[in-house]
Amino acid sequence: MTTMNVNTEVRSGETDNTQDVPGSRAPLVLNMDKFNQVTQQVCQVAEARRTPMAWYITFAIGLGLLSLLGFCIVYLIVTGVGVWGLNNPVMWAYDITNFVFWVGIGHAGTLISAILFLFRQKWRTGINRFAEAMTIFAVMCAGIFPGIHVGRVWVVYWLFPLPNQMEMWPQFRSPLLWDVFAVGTYFTVSLLFWFTGLVPDLATMRDRAKGKIQQIAYGAFALGWRGSNRHWHRYERAYLLLAALSTPLVLSVHSVVSFDFATSQLPGWHTTIFPPYFVAGAIFSGFAMVVTLAIPAREMFGLKNLITLRHLDNMNKVILLTGCMVGYAYAMEFFIAWYSGAIYEKFAFINRAFGQYWWAYFLMVSCNVITPQLFWFKAIRTSIPIMFALSLLVNVGMWFERFVIIVTSLANDFLPSSWDVFSPTWVDIGTFFGSFGLFLTMFMLFCRFLPMIAIAEVKAVMPEADPHFGDDHQGDDSDHGHADAKEAHA
Amino acid sequence: MTGDLEYRVDDSKTTQDTNDQTGTREPLSPSLQGRDLWRSLEDLSHTDEFKAFSDREFQEGAQNLEGEDRRQFMKIMGASFALAGLGTAACRRLPETKIAPYANRPDDRDPGVSVEYASTCKLGGVPVPVVVTSYDGRPIYLRGNGDHPAMPSDACGAMVQGTVLELYNPERLRVATNNGDDSTWADFDAWMKTRMQSHPGGAGLAILSGAANGPTTDSMKARMASDMPSATWSEWEAVNDDNVFLGTKIAFGAPHEVVTDLAQADIVVSLDSDFLGTESDNGNNPAGWASRRRLEGQPADATMSRIYQIEPMLTVSGIGSDERIALRSSRVPALARAIAKRVGVSGGVEDPQLASELKASVNRSFTSHEGTHEEVVVTDADIFDKMIEDLESHRGRCLVLAGGGQPPEVHALAAILNEKLGNVGRTVSYRPVARSRTRVDALTALVKDMNAGAVKTLIIFDSNPVYDAPADLEFAKALSKVEKVVYFGTSLNETTDAAQFEWVIPGVHYLEAWGDATATDGTVSIVQPLIHPLVDDSQGGRSMVEVLAMLMGDEQTDGLEILRDTARSRFTGDDYAFERFWRQALSDGYEKGTSTPTSTPGVSSGAMAAAMRGSNALSSDAVIELAIYQDGRVYDGRFANVGWMQELPDPVSKLTWDNAIYMGPELAKQQGLVSGDMVTLKTENGSIESAVMVMPGWASGTCSLSIGYGRGESAGMIANGAGFNVYPIRRADGMSLVSKVTLDKTGETYPLASTQDHGIYGSLDPSVPEAGIQERLPSIVREGSLETYQKDPAFNKGLAHVAHSLSLWEETNLDGAKFRWALSVDLTTCTGCSECVVACQSENNIPIVGKDQVIRGREMSWIRIDRYFKGGTASNPEQVVTQPVCCLHCENAPCEQVCPVAATVHDKDGLNVMVYNRCIGTRYCSNNCPYKVRRFNWFDYQRREPVREQEGLFAVKPSYYTSEGPSDFRRMQFNPEVTVRSRGVMEKCSMCSQRIAKAKIQYKNEWAQAGGVSTGKDWSIPDGAIRTACQEACSTGAIVFGDLNDPESKVNKLFSSPRTYDLLAELNTKNRVKYMALVTNPAFERSVHGHGGHGHGDHGHGDHGHGDHGHGDHGHGDHGHGDHGHGDHDHDHDHDHGDHDHADKHVSARNNGKVVNDA
Repeated sequence: MTTMNVNTEVRSGETDNTQDVPGSRAPLVLNMDKFNQVTQQVCQVAEARRTPMAWYITFAIGLGLLSLLGFCIVYLIVTGVGVWGLNNPVMWAYDITNFVFWVGIGHAGTLISAILFLFRQKWRTGINRFAEAMTIFAVMCAGIFPGIHVGRVWVVYWLFPLPNQMEMWPQFRSPLLWDVFAVGTYFTVSLLFWFTGLVPDLATMRDRAKGKIQQIAYGAFALGWRGSNRHWHRYERAYLLLAALSTPLVLSVHSVVSFDFATSQLPGWHTTIFPPYFVAGAIFSGFAMVVTLAIPAREMFGLKNLITLRHLDNMNKVILLTGCMVGYAYAMEFFIAWYSGAIYEKFAFINRAFGQYWWAYFLMVSCNVITPQLFWFKAIRTSIPIMFALSLLVNVGMWFERFVIIVTSLANDFLPSSWDVFSPTWVDIGTFFGSFGLFLTMFMLFCRFLPMIAIAEVKAVMPEADPHFGDDHQGDDSDHGHADAKEAHA
Repeated sequence: MTGDLEYRVDDSKTTQDTNDQTGTREPLSPSLQGRDLWRSLEDLSHTDEFKAFSDREFQEGAQNLEGEDRRQFMKIMGASFALAGLGTAACRRLPETKIAPYANRPDDRDPGVSVEYASTCKLGGVPVPVVVTSYDGRPIYLRGNGDHPAMPSDACGAMVQGTVLELYNPERLRVATNNGDDSTWADFDAWMKTRMQSHPGGAGLAILSGAANGPTTDSMKARMASDMPSATWSEWEAVNDDNVFLGTKIAFGAPHEVVTDLAQADIVVSLDSDFLGTESDNGNNPAGWASRRRLEGQPADATMSRIYQIEPMLTVSGIGSDERIALRSSRVPALARAIAKRVGVSGGVEDPQLASELKASVNRSFTSHEGTHEEVVVTDADIFDKMIEDLESHRGRCLVLAGGGQPPEVHALAAILNEKLGNVGRTVSYRPVARSRTRVDALTALVKDMNAGAVKTLIIFDSNPVYDAPADLEFAKALSKVEKVVYFGTSLNETTDAAQFEWVIPGVHYLEAWGDATATDGTVSIVQPLIHPLVDDSQGGRSMVEVLAMLMGDEQTDGLEILRDTARSRFTGDDYAFERFWRQALSDGYEKGTSTPTSTPGVSSGAMAAAMRGSNALSSDAVIELAIYQDGRVYDGRFANVGWMQELPDPVSKLTWDNAIYMGPELAKQQGLVSGDMVTLKTENGSIESAVMVMPGWASGTCSLSIGYGRGESAGMIANGAGFNVYPIRRADGMSLVSKVTLDKTGETYPLASTQDHGIYGSLDPSVPEAGIQERLPSIVREGSLETYQKDPAFNKGLAHVAHSLSLWEETNLDGAKFRWALSVDLTTCTGCSECVVACQSENNIPIVGKDQVIRGREMSWIRIDRYFKGGTASNPEQVVTQPVCCLHCENAPCEQVCPVAATVHDKDGLNVMVYNRCIGTRYCSNNCPYKVRRFNWFDYQRREPVREQEGLFAVKPSYYTSEGPSDFRRMQFNPEVTVRSRGVMEKCSMCSQRIAKAKIQYKNEWAQAGGVSTGKDWSIPDGAIRTACQEACSTGAIVFGDLNDPESKVNKLFSSPRTYDLLAELNTKNRVKYMALVTNPAFERSVHGHGGHGHGDHGHGDHGHGDHGHGDHGHGDHGHGDHGHGDHDHDHDHDHGDHDHADKHVSARNNGKVVNDA
């Protein structure tokens, strides 16, 4: 139909739009030429009378795991933190590993929504909505762990600077307090950002809704959106401001989380490289999780033309880049440990790689350093099954990264007399898998009831959104067209 | 306002009309007219709700103040103040019986102020004078009575400490039973009186007790012997001095006790004697040992004794020795004979096989650093030769000790050697023993009588022969032949389980009864009760003396009166003088001037020949021996149900809750065993099953298993399942050594709960890089030889490398503090005996957590003793070192920086304090603590049954979810001055802040009473007035607490000692607990006179230059790098060290004191 279809071809059920043809723009939406098609396709997921069986199955799994989480947490609170496998040197293990893991996952959403937005990376529109949702759910999962891991859960609110009759403030030098602020801010801003982006789409849902309940529910959250020019103007301003606000948060949250370790005395934790290394790792794991979620979601709800192979290819490139950064950090840690001349530091890293947790370390290195290197190959970057498998591996690797950092450093620190081994109990494992239940349940509900794709934004990156779309005076205004091409070119 | 009121009133009326049956109220309350003041509208309207509320304001107790309930209320309130010291009559802690509300407080009684009483604990017949701290009538803490002539210090030993918990054993026997049915003391009394009529002259009556001494008991025995000549009295102790008894009999013709004075000994040769551990002689040996090891107060050319330890297994004494030969137990007699031969005792024999074995046994081997890089090999024969040399050159100033587990000949030889070396009267003297039989002989005679049917009535006092009698006596079988058996004891045990007892009567604990005892020096010591027996009066609760008095039909059956009567009979003087004497004795805990002098008997002429008797042939190397020894925690098994003892780590193996067959790696390898394997240990006379634990330092072909474990369910909940019982193969002729055993792996494994090397075995575990341990040890436990110390007392400063001491934070400002508390720990005099651990547990309400929790690594002790092996090989480490670690109270505390809720902060005296109420349990403080001294309450340990293994989903629940919680009795031990921590909070050493607070109150009050400000002086606390529990319990005085602001304080002087160092100084934590470097006096150079920690080669100075570090600026002072020769180090590392790679890495530039000045 247009020049944009020039380099699309059908390959094993996938439309390959990853080819870059000089002078033309790769399409970000496939097989569509009307805005309404987008609306129709995205909204029908929520409006459909029949929900796909796969959704029910996944949701059931999610609910099952969520109940496991609930059970484990109640059991933990009723009996004591001792139900986990923690011990004297290893006072944190699965709890904080899971916390950092989930916070890390939560990074991709904001990166995609804020940073890519500011950099005018239009391909973000296909994935930003559910990546942001993923962020919010991941941060919720993350937030559980610091909350429940304390010995006296009933006074966990003392972490917050609330005025109280004890006239006690929290201790502001503690990185745990910084965490409270960093994660709290991150969650709030991410939620606002996500919700702001949702408003026009919620209005669309409201307008299309058939039932009274849907109309009221969507209507309440649509905040009276009517699509007026003024609305759009304010919306765009707000969105831009929130993007600007979120951008530093992408860097700050995981930097602050890494301070939990970096500001301590412990060999293996006390490392200046941690902030950038953690941020890179977080983006790495976050993108892997987006890929992990996007692949089944686009399959289940038939969104392949909106979340195209090109989107996945782009994300894989980000994974490759951040994977290299993580690999560099691993190497640099070793170098610094050797260069420092500190025997404890040196031992911590040798022990990490060759000590009792060598298997975790090698799992981490192979998943996080070797796996992403496969993404140098385009065939792999564009192969759905392989990238799915690799994204899972990256997730596994990144969980083990946190496990390795936390547990191996604690297990063998300064005085050999205190060394011990951590082994998880079923409650540790149950809580960990249970947190996936919470995530999955939330995500499935989101998929079912909210627009998974930012409808309004996607429309803006379609060729049809070009004011000159359909004009036949291309030659007259080639400059304009050229600029558009650049802009749409992801 | 009015409208509102009207509305409310109307509203309440509605409810009123429907609910109030009495119907006495008007819509508008009459009180409105009657009262001027009201607190609320509800008050005004006088509703029922308000009435209920106004009552509630004074809580439930308010109603009790009216009417009949007032009595109940006074009882409840009175219970808090009850008790304590209105003589023993009011000591009972059970509130329902005796209430003493302090409407008029007795003059000498301050509620909430603890009182100390002197008493005596009898540990297997060995009296240990103690001072008991009592709180509102509850004894809660014990220490040794250092004022007693038999006690060198206030250390009483871990087991004695544990007896205070034994008092509150929830499973104590509380009901007298007659043939299994509940009965009373009165019924028994009547029964016994009738029964005694069938024993004319005592015929058919036998008494079996534990070792009993003391003037009162002795006079009872004497009277019994005269009144009932046919009755027999046997005393049995599974841990006994039979070998000493027989050995000294060989040497002197009569049995003697051996009284040693290590303070006078320059050279000590210990023949398998654990003189610093289980044979510490009430701490006299450790104290004497320490007095010759302490370097403070000595001139620069300080001297130190040298200890040669010859032993089959590693003991506390082995750790405290300078040269150690690991030798099979059966070889020790041959070695003793060889010493005799060498020092010129005629008749001595040097076995050639032994000599060649010693020669072949390499004690250590390493590459010398003395510039020559020669291979240094020290064999056991070299050490033996040097030992002889030392003995001969220190005649009159040396000492040969023989271990209680060695046969009589070795004891005889020790006596002969000491005489030959001129030590008698100097380092060793003797005291005659009045007993005529050994313990085994006494028991054997009784069993013979029982089997012959000569015993009709057997009365057993606090003895457990079915469990601990020699297996070949078959006591249980003999017991069934006795007509009537009466048992007096504090708890049920194997003996009460074994037979149908006519009577089982609850006995008393020594803290509940009057008595006396003859201390090791002969001094008459008083056993004073601190509390009324925790057994109902009708159920018994009689002491042995009281029962005996009843048996003999005495009129006087009150323990105190019997005691006073015997004391009076010995006292010459009028009643008035006696009363004074008696009160003084009670206060002191002993009767002054009653000690008996020691003697210096001459060795009898035939002694040497007798000592040479017995088989001289050495057993084959292929034979595996089992050494049976006394465990330092459960004694002969009697403390198996004391939780503190079960959870106290073995000083050597760090094993808790179990014993195990220990063996060296060589034997384990040869037998294909690893730690945790179950084996069947077969002997010629039966077999037992036990788990195996592999430990370095055991002699080849030797394994060992301690007595006192494996008591099954008989002993109680705590003891249930703890360890393995060696008694079934312990025979009268082989009480401490079983030769020719075989070990068969059963294929099963057993979980061992060790507090160090959790699940792994430290340097023996290949999965943790050993370099990581050995590399850092020299800076953690700084250590050098005496020679090194003499040349440079500050030698330890070169053992660690502190590059920068910059703080990231503004440091806590502690200027202007009135006190700066600090603690000094001298590694030179620490033996690792672990008594401090129990004292701390007792003082600070530290829970026991159970075996499964220890396996998880969750033990709660606030002070731990780290034990490291240094150098050598896995089977033969060159050195074993111990280091007590409690919270180091860093001024720059890493824990404080990271606590999000400020639950751990500094107090103004500079202590790092834990605010339990504020703690939410993030555990970050522990993660950031480099010393890992913080302990977390994973569960509600204080309310949880500390059983060994918790099974099932809800097994971990604290016991308050079950209908029955842990007994109130257990709680009675708690120290009310220390918070009992709840679940979910962090805890740690507080440096006994409750004791500090107490002293502050006391001295400030005294100052105020003396005039306060008008005295012109500020108040102060004298040095030594405050002692921490660990300090009090340290028999060697290795721990010293005090104020750094006091220039004259002991701790201040120790802190300025050149030997003092900071643990992990490179972290700049500025510890208030500092260590003094370990100095030993080895006869030969060691490879590990650590320098490795300094690690110049590792630091790569060549790579980044010295200039960066500015060593002069960073406190290296005299010990600059120039002294240490980096080039040399790097050079050394390149050398081919053959097999000795680990040791060689740490070869010192200061080997044996010689500083290599080659830079």
